[in-house]
Order: sequence, then structure tokens, then C-alpha cells
Amino acid sequence: MISFKNVTKNFGSINALNDVSFGVEDGEFVFLTGPSGAGKTTILKMILREMLPDSGQVLFDNTDVTKLADKEVPLLRQQMGIVFQDFKVLSERTVFENVEVALAVSDVSQEEWSKRVSHVLKLVGLSSRSNLFPSQLSGGELQRVSLARALVINPKLILADEPTGNLDWKTAEGIMELLEKINKEGKTIIMATHHEGIIKHAKHRIINIDDGIITNK
Amino acid sequence: MSIHSKTAIDAIKRSPFQAISAIFVLSLTFFVATTVAILVYASNKSLSYFETRPQIISFLKNDTTVEAISALQNKLSQDIRIKDVKYVAKEEALEIYKKATEDNPLLAELVSPSIFPASLEFSVTDLKLAEEVINEIKNEAIVEQVGFTANIGGERSLGDVVERLKSISYYLRLGGIIFVSALGLTSFLVLLIIISMRMTSRKGEIEILSLIGATPAFVRSPIIIEGVIYSVVGVLIGWTTSLISWLYISPSILSYFGQIPVLPKEPLQFFILFAIILGIELFTGLLIALTGSLIAVKRSLKRVK
Repeated sequence: MISFKNVTKNFGSINALNDVSFGVEDGEFVFLTGPSGAGKTTILKMILREMLPDSGQVLFDNTDVTKLADKEVPLLRQQMGIVFQDFKVLSERTVFENVEVALAVSDVSQEEWSKRVSHVLKLVGLSSRSNLFPSQLSGGELQRVSLARALVINPKLILADEPTGNLDWKTAEGIMELLEKINKEGKTIIMATHHEGIIKHAKHRIINIDDGIITNK
Repeated sequence: MSIHSKTAIDAIKRSPFQAISAIFVLSLTFFVATTVAILVYASNKSLSYFETRPQIISFLKNDTTVEAISALQNKLSQDIRIKDVKYVAKEEALEIYKKATEDNPLLAELVSPSIFPASLEFSVTDLKLAEEVINEIKNEAIVEQVGFTANIGGERSLGDVVERLKSISYYLRLGGIIFVSALGLTSFLVLLIIISMRMTSRKGEIEILSLIGATPAFVRSPIIIEGVIYSVVGVLIGWTTSLISWLYISPSILSYFGQIPVLPKEPLQFFILFAIILGIELFTGLLIALTGSLIAVKRSLKRVK
């Protein structure tokens, strides 16, 4: 599903990614690990086409995303669900609306919105919080909103950038359980994390990056 | 309600003072625009009234024969400097008098057709020729007296009246265009600033929407709808206020100007005139909203990228 071929990215004199190559198969759950600043987020940003490499190819379903025209980028992103470390929820919209907006963006028929949003909110355990605003939620609940928003569009791929980074261990475990459940339903997940406990506990393939170089695949 | 309309209305509710200032400026613009449009209409109507009236009336002597009148009428009709020659008999003159004094029927009852002279009314092709033609017609044997419609208002010649009206109409139009354009530009800039502020305050939201796959059109839509709401509300408030003002003062204006049709006397015609102005203003308002919103969004999206 995802393939990086000899990808290099420099920020001035800093070598963020150096000739990185790896692949992720359909239905896989892969951890991107490494210390802060190793290049994990850069990889996720390239898959999202938020950043372009200096050289190399980034393939998503055999399409080189680096070659996409600007107007094709939204369509690429609509096929992916994204979960951020800082949640990135819309502060002036309710939980329900935060999830609903992903469907609106993806041009899903409005008749389906309510049913699909209710379904994912139930899945992430936020049915009773649907009318609350983000300021009224805990960190774990905010992350579940972010996850619900990623799931509601039924994406092929879920990119999670340190989804447990801001959460306590118990809440992080809850989020991991949800991700495991989603993965078992056939979704591909790429999760950037440096949370040793989670990596050891989950037992999935690890792609370790250090100073822009992959040290194992 | 679409998600874009809901987002736009929520944004208006969250920043009511921005919305009020935008709507206030737009209302003021369209109030002035409606008022100026009516003033231009009134000046055009006055001008047209004076231009199309018979400019010269030659009152005929009482004992004039039909043959002599017919001969003079033919002579005038063949003169290339003269147009629209019309014979007004004594009875018709009385009817005109009755119409002019319909507010006081007693005045009409006190007179008979015999006291009104028959006349030949006509216009000249160029007002510069009026004096020359008048002097010639005065020498005709059957002509008792020559009158000018220009005498009303104390003007010495019709040319003065028409020229003065043309001048008023021109300056009214020019002043109106400049004033309304200045207000239109102010509205446009206010809208641009408010929408730019809205884009800045929504920067975080736009980034998130963009990351989850929102197209630029998706990001733009609520902002454009917001601009359109400001414009439409501004037009409706400005237009309605002007309509109410004109409805209030039109009886006095119509009574003051008497025969001169500065405003439509029929209610239906009056409302049709205002409906046409409303249509033009809605179109202009939408144009201002769309242009302002698109420019502000384009500039802001560049900064977000």
C-alpha cells in the first residue's frame, strides 16, 4: 500500500531523511519509532503530501504522491484517516460536528452523516459526549474524537502521529485497544511513536529511524 | 441547512460586532444608492417632462376662421425648425384648465370655454431657434399672443429651464456616482478586512480541514456565504429604509411638483421602480460580496499554505 523508494529530505544542512526505503502492506500495523527529530513525522507528512521529498518516490496504492497536482491532494487525503498527537480537533464545533466535518469534506451524502457519526462515536465510546465541545473533554476523550474523525470516512489507511504522546498510560492503552480493533477490521495503520511500553506490548512490525536513516525494517 | 451555511451563521454569531459593522456600512451604501437612484430618476423625469412639453403656445385671436387656423398649422408643419404642431380648441383648453384645477372644482365651474383662446402648440427642433421662431409667429395676423412653457419658475426662456435641469441632472448623476462609488469601495474594503480577519481567526481550522482532505472550495464556501449574507442583509436594510423614507415624503413631493411627474403617481409603478432598484442592488451586493470574499480568501489561503 505504501512504498518509500530512496527518499531524501534536507532542511538546510539538517538531513531529515537519508535515502529511506521501506514498504507497508495492506492491513498491516506498523510502528515508526525513533527518538524525537529522527524523521518519523516527516515520513507521515510525505505520505499526506504535506511535504515533498528532495528526491525519491512516495507511492500510495502505486501512485507517486510526489507527482500529484495540488488539486489532487485533497482526494489523496480523503483516503486516509489521520490522528494527531495534539488532537487537532475544531474547538468551536461539538464532538458530533468534529466527526461530521470529515464526512462533509469527503463528499459523503448528507443522509448518511448522522448514522455514520453515531456509529463511530459508539465505537470510540463517546456517544454520551456527542454534544459537548472540545474544551469540555479530557485528553483521552479528545484523542478518541480525533480517532473517530479518522475512522468515520472508512479510510484505507490510518496515520497516527504520536497518538498516545499526550496521554497517561491507562488512557493510552485504551487508544491502542481501539487501534488494534480497527486494524483487525482490515485497516492499515502506520503509527509514529517513541512510547517503549506500547511498542513492546503491541508486538507489531517496527520501522526504526535514527537521524534520518532506517536502522531496521 | 448545509454545513457551509451553518458554519457561516455560527461565525456571524460568534463575532456579532464584525457582522454589525459590515452590515451597517453596506446598509448605508445601499440606502444612499437607492436615494440617489430615485433622485436621478426624478431629475430625468423632470427633464423629459420639460423637453417633451410643447415649448411654444401661440394663442389665436377669437374671430379667427378655421381656414386661417388650418393654413397657419400647415405653414408651421412644413417649417423644418418646428415639430409636433397641435391645435388646441377652446373646449380642449377648458378641459386642460379643469384638469389643472381638479383640486378645486369650483374654479372650473366659474368659467366657460369662450374665455379660453384656441391655440397652436408646437416645439422647436433646437432651443436656440426658439426666439427667432417666436418673433416670426408673433407677426402672424391671427396670433394674439405667444407664450412659453418656460415662464413657470420665473425663468425667462425655456432654454434656461431645460439647460438648468440638464445641468442639475448631470451633476446629480455625477455626484451620485462618485458618492455611491466611494461608499461602495468602503463597503468592499470593510468586507475585505472582516473576511481577512475571519480567515486569520480560522487559520487553525483551515489547516486541520486541509489535512483531512478539504478542497479549497470547501474552505472558501462558508466565508463566501458569510460575505453574501452581509451583502444581502445590507441591501435589504438600506433599500427598505430608503423605500420607507420615500413612501413617507412622496405625497409632499408629488404635491409640490404638481404636474411634473418626478415620482410615479401609481402605487404599482412606484413599487416596480423600487423593485428594479432592488434587483440591481442585489446584483451589485452579490458582486461586492463575491469579489471581496474571493480576494480575501485567496490572500489568506496563500498565507496558510
